[in-house]
Amino acid sequence: MNLELVRYFIENHATLLAPPVAGTVVNIELLFAMSQTLSRKESCQDPESSSKHETEQWNTFWSDLMDMIALSPGCVSFVTQDAPGNRGAIIDHIDVQTLQIMYDCAVPGSYTGAKGSKSSKLNYPANASLSDRLLTVLDSSAAETPNQQILSQLQRVLAVKPASHTLGQERAQKFTPHSSFIHICSNRNHSSVLSSIANVSNNKIVAIDCNKLQNADQDCPGLLKCAQSKIHFIPNLKPQTDTGLGDCSYLDTCHKLNSCRYVHYLQYVPESLVQLTSLRTRETNESCDSNKRICLYTRGLCCSVGSTPTLPAQWIQCDVRRFDFNVLGKFSVVVADPAWNIRMNLPYGTCNDSELTDLPLNLLQQEGIIFLWVTGRAIEVGKESLQRWGYQVCNEISWIKTNQLGRTIVTGRTGHWLNHSKEHLLVGLKGTPEWLNRQSDIDLIVSASRETSRKPDELYGMIERLVGPHARKLEIFGRDHNTRSGWFTIGNQLNGDSVYEPDVKRKYNTYLQRQKKTHRAPYPTLA
Amino acid sequence: MYPERAKPKSGAENGRKKRNNSLKPATQPHTNDYTQHYVHTNILPQRFVKNSENQVEGYPNLQKLFRLKEKHVARHATTPYGCRINIDEMVPTLNSWIHNDKLIFDVVMIGCLTDNQFIYPLLTSLPIDRLISKPGFLFIWGSAQKINELTKLLQNDTWAKKFRKSEELVFIPVDKSSPFYPGLDNDDQALFEKMQWHCWMCITGTVRRATDGHLIHCNVDTDLTIESDGSQNSAIPAHLYKIAENFSTATRRLHIIPARTGTETPVRVRPGWVIMSPDVILNNFDSVRYQEDINKVGTHLPMKNEIETLRPKSPVQKKPM
Repeated sequence: MNLELVRYFIENHATLLAPPVAGTVVNIELLFAMSQTLSRKESCQDPESSSKHETEQWNTFWSDLMDMIALSPGCVSFVTQDAPGNRGAIIDHIDVQTLQIMYDCAVPGSYTGAKGSKSSKLNYPANASLSDRLLTVLDSSAAETPNQQILSQLQRVLAVKPASHTLGQERAQKFTPHSSFIHICSNRNHSSVLSSIANVSNNKIVAIDCNKLQNADQDCPGLLKCAQSKIHFIPNLKPQTDTGLGDCSYLDTCHKLNSCRYVHYLQYVPESLVQLTSLRTRETNESCDSNKRICLYTRGLCCSVGSTPTLPAQWIQCDVRRFDFNVLGKFSVVVADPAWNIRMNLPYGTCNDSELTDLPLNLLQQEGIIFLWVTGRAIEVGKESLQRWGYQVCNEISWIKTNQLGRTIVTGRTGHWLNHSKEHLLVGLKGTPEWLNRQSDIDLIVSASRETSRKPDELYGMIERLVGPHARKLEIFGRDHNTRSGWFTIGNQLNGDSVYEPDVKRKYNTYLQRQKKTHRAPYPTLA
Repeated sequence: MYPERAKPKSGAENGRKKRNNSLKPATQPHTNDYTQHYVHTNILPQRFVKNSENQVEGYPNLQKLFRLKEKHVARHATTPYGCRINIDEMVPTLNSWIHNDKLIFDVVMIGCLTDNQFIYPLLTSLPIDRLISKPGFLFIWGSAQKINELTKLLQNDTWAKKFRKSEELVFIPVDKSSPFYPGLDNDDQALFEKMQWHCWMCITGTVRRATDGHLIHCNVDTDLTIESDGSQNSAIPAHLYKIAENFSTATRRLHIIPARTGTETPVRVRPGWVIMSPDVILNNFDSVRYQEDINKVGTHLPMKNEIETLRPKSPVQKKPM
């Protein structure tokens, strides 16, 4: 076997397969011969090799190559199976690992040793146990079966995301405005030291003494810098506070701040830091805005997506259970947060299951997505209703509710059997919408809980990335804080109405007139 | 770090005043948008949850309760048992346990955090109501998709009459390199990248939250678990077992894993549990020995006053006090 040839293939496999050589055996032969003469001239100045006849040289090369293939089948594969032997043969794959193993058999330790792995005998320390050596053999690539190699190749290929996905992700990133982000300090020591420095009055941090902080920085290095660059939660210790009891379950939402014996916290973030981050954010957003206007990847959106303004917030106050959905037209996205009756005393009126499941939601979408907030036994009722309305449950989003300190809510008997730290949002899909920008977000929202039943605003951003800023979006059972530009909101707790789309306005007016007539109908009319 | 803005203006003499200014507290609290932050930086929102290492951080009484319960459960636990069998032998084996060995369990957990589980076929081919005592508790873990498929069980009257779905639990991996990242579940059609495992907690028979404190301890754990960095290499995070142990005071616990979990993450045995899996590392189950063990340990944990005073209770109980 021509070991020089094997070595040459191992060392130059990339060059040989890449253009301009592109695997043509004739050219490889020439290159190999050149490298051989070059190295021989350097070493022993042998004039005979250059005088070899050309065809003879080719024949030797070819038979060496065939030997190599015979010794380890599959180490080199040709484009055309039918015509090897003639000079037009083209190599399309060189299996370097197999060649290395073969070379290793002839010259032990040459490749495995060079790569730094310990499988070569020469590299073993004398006292290595047999089991150690066997284990390292398992680790080496030689132990990988062809199946495993194919499997890992397949996995690599499958893991490659299509360009549309990458572009969609990038667009989602460019279209999402930045907002100030300030890290929360995780060093517990910092908050206790700061609590001894902070000047707190009337449940507010009035000032932090700079000198004291600098002194404290000597005992606790990095404190000053951390205080200037991160958010800290400083215990608001009062005469009645009993630190042994631990934190209050309600923290900043506690109603008995002046008598509660548990520990409460005040957020400390320097005003200058807030100003600086918001300034930086504004600058980034301005530069992003100008870039957005020349967005070229508009798949699924309108061509002028970057420059077309969105409609102002629209809403109609109505009893959703009796409203004529035909007035509203069709939507790409529907969000609904119904007041499910889950047999609990809630501070708001609830709806019966039938009132909700009988809603004619099928009128609102030909194809699109629905987001349905559910809780407790409503998870199952919700799933059933979605199926009845023609949707398929394709995702379930969890909202992880956090408290003032950014921790999950773990106390307070929030659930019947276990405490509830999250809420469920079902995502239903109708039809096969091609215009979606999928998977730019994950199925989790980590966000602080606010007033009863108020849902996190992060969802709006997720939806806008999914369907684009100009898709028609409807929120059912919305309240005043839910109205926002680009969205249509309906619900009985809204204030009046505000409609901009001319066709909706026209239909809504006819609807109102019709309502008036039916309302008057019981009374005798002159007409 | 940033007094760049202040520096040019401040001379040496009024430097102190300026720095003072830089520490002036903001009047409005600041909130971060972790969803937006993920889109821009690819750092997952769950990374910012501050208590994922210690769920009950800040609550010394709860911490004490967890410690006490852990000790209490460990003291009254059977030796760990593993039963290594193929998936298709599971139903016949369990049937033989029910009919020949007269075994019964109070807590049964089915499934783990892996795709490719045969949960629905197992649930429908097994006389699960004879395997579980009354009252008894059933935890079923799987991908959100698999758990979603179980909804049809509720439409099946015989099943729905015996088991009530009481809670839906969620487990979340810390990041995409976690062994519990549900990568296979992510098809191209998913609208959002999937990051969670779901669990149905079902109750059979009657238990009342307010009066059955000898059987169940409610509101100790929550319905959400975030993987902690320090969890040991295992196919099943210990927390899944702990939820069941903290909730039910029963000592007869069975975990059935109807899936191959591979060699990378071992299925470990756990004191107090019989673990049935094709990949469990120990194969030592013997029903006679197990029953002797249970006779020694008792079917339920004895009451412990310290735990009773610390555990959350229903407000109804407060009235007579």
